[in-house]
Amino acid sequence: MKTVELVDVCPLSELPPGSSRIVEWEDLEIGVFNCAGDLLAIEDRCSHDNGPLAEGEFDESACTVECPRHGSLFDLRTGAPKTLPAYVAVDTFPVRVEDNMIKLEVD
Amino acid sequence: MATPELTPAAAENAALQDLNADYTERYGFHDAENYLYKAPKGLTRELVQKISEFKSEPGWMRAFRLKSLDHFLARPMPTWGSPMLAEVDFDDIHYFVRASERAERSWDDVPEDVKKTFDRLGIPEAERQFLAGVGAQYESESVYHQVNEQLQAQGVVFMDMDTALREHEHLVKEYIGTLIPPNDNKLAALNSAVWSGGSFVYVPPGVHVEMPLQAYFRINTENMGQFERTIIIADEGSYVHYVEGCTAPTYSSDSLHSAVVELFAKPGARIRYTTVQNWSSNVFNLVTKRARADTDATVEWVDCNLGSKLTMKYPSVYLMGERAHGEILSIAFAGHGQHQDAGGKIIHAAPNTTSNIFAKSISKDGGRSSYRGLLEVAKGAHGAKSKVVCDALLLDERSRSDTYPTIRIGEDDVDVGHEATVSKVGEEQLFYLMSHGIDEEEASKLIVNGFIEPIVKELPMEYAVEMNRLIELQMEGSIG
Repeated sequence: MKTVELVDVCPLSELPPGSSRIVEWEDLEIGVFNCAGDLLAIEDRCSHDNGPLAEGEFDESACTVECPRHGSLFDLRTGAPKTLPAYVAVDTFPVRVEDNMIKLEVD
Repeated sequence: MATPELTPAAAENAALQDLNADYTERYGFHDAENYLYKAPKGLTRELVQKISEFKSEPGWMRAFRLKSLDHFLARPMPTWGSPMLAEVDFDDIHYFVRASERAERSWDDVPEDVKKTFDRLGIPEAERQFLAGVGAQYESESVYHQVNEQLQAQGVVFMDMDTALREHEHLVKEYIGTLIPPNDNKLAALNSAVWSGGSFVYVPPGVHVEMPLQAYFRINTENMGQFERTIIIADEGSYVHYVEGCTAPTYSSDSLHSAVVELFAKPGARIRYTTVQNWSSNVFNLVTKRARADTDATVEWVDCNLGSKLTMKYPSVYLMGERAHGEILSIAFAGHGQHQDAGGKIIHAAPNTTSNIFAKSISKDGGRSSYRGLLEVAKGAHGAKSKVVCDALLLDERSRSDTYPTIRIGEDDVDVGHEATVSKVGEEQLFYLMSHGIDEEEASKLIVNGFIEPIVKELPMEYAVEMNRLIELQMEGSIG
């Protein structure tokens, strides 16, 4: 049975719409984005060549992040690439807010 | 042609001079420059904006170009491939040259000088005889584009990209840069910043374009950069064959050709894309070509590289839907001073997909040819089948051939084969042919023709004839 662990990201007030940040959990790095009020999290790893992803350009209106290395656009809601060269989805993580603290669900 | 009176080295030199003389006569001539606009050398933000203004583009395209320029400037030049890459001088290039007001639909309306060039290259005649449509690009922009009326009535779109951006903006916006994002590599970023011309093809569902569509690309001016952008969308169950050819005058300083080509084969569709690249020996040819094949779709790249100083080009197919098929047939011919770094990439991203890569290269007179390929089978692409065969033929001791194959397999249930051979024209083969009264040069030609025949036979007949003629020309005097 999976055990879900909650990881504190930051207070909600520190991640306003249009902003993002990267958090570490064990050996994973995860990008957390505020997409017009929706809090979304994806693995900080491009599935094309395993380079960092979440520091790329964040388009709040399209809810995508662009890999800074080769330009693949990832849908933050699904983790799926919308453009090549990446063609495999990256992991996504549920996000919740408890007592004004943004928390990631990891297992 | 070697003569008995000459020493072997002198005979070879004479043959090479003959070769150049023929290129000059057939393709290497240049016209007087009566241009509407010729940008000064060098790449600036202002120039990128100016190109966009000239073309009266929508704001999103201007933003696309400027962002691409930032990517281009931020990226270092690749250090892999060829040492010749370091010779590309981005400051010594004219990035935009406008020869005519618009892409005409009648040859009579094309400016006289330009029309003469294409007449000399035999393009209007080819259109009359065996093509379904023709596009002709001269320097930065298309000067002529026409598709036959029957196809137009069936909804086939074949036009230059600048016109497509005006007439089919939503389609261009939906597809451009989705297979090759501007940030994919430095040269793709450059193309995305300064692209001009190229073809836009849309084939409606179920329509089979029986005769090929052809685009012909011509560079005329010295130190020119040509950056065409091509998108082909074959909708469900349709078929299209697109053929491109290219030549340029021979100058002592270098020009740059850097295209981006994106192909979309929807479910059950088939696209064949044939290139006969015969740039003059002062052209850097650095091109990115990528295709996406959906369920039951087929994409075939037939890629013949004869000309240019350096070519780096690896057409790829992403097999994204079940049972999609990809095929890459590549011929590279590297003569004196040339490096052909060619090959292909196939990515099996779905189950039961199949592919073949057949690459043939010939090196002579100190030329270098490289096969560089990638075969990738993703996790989950069970039942994938692929065969990669690359053969190299060396015609003398001074020439060079390299093979850089990469194979990544992420699934157990697959069938993948890779074969590579490097051979010299064998004494035994020559002896056998010569014992039948064939002289050495003729025997070598026969061996080379036999070597490339499996790929040449895939070309439309008119191109196969031309390819054989070009190969024969390249082969003249190769036996000293």
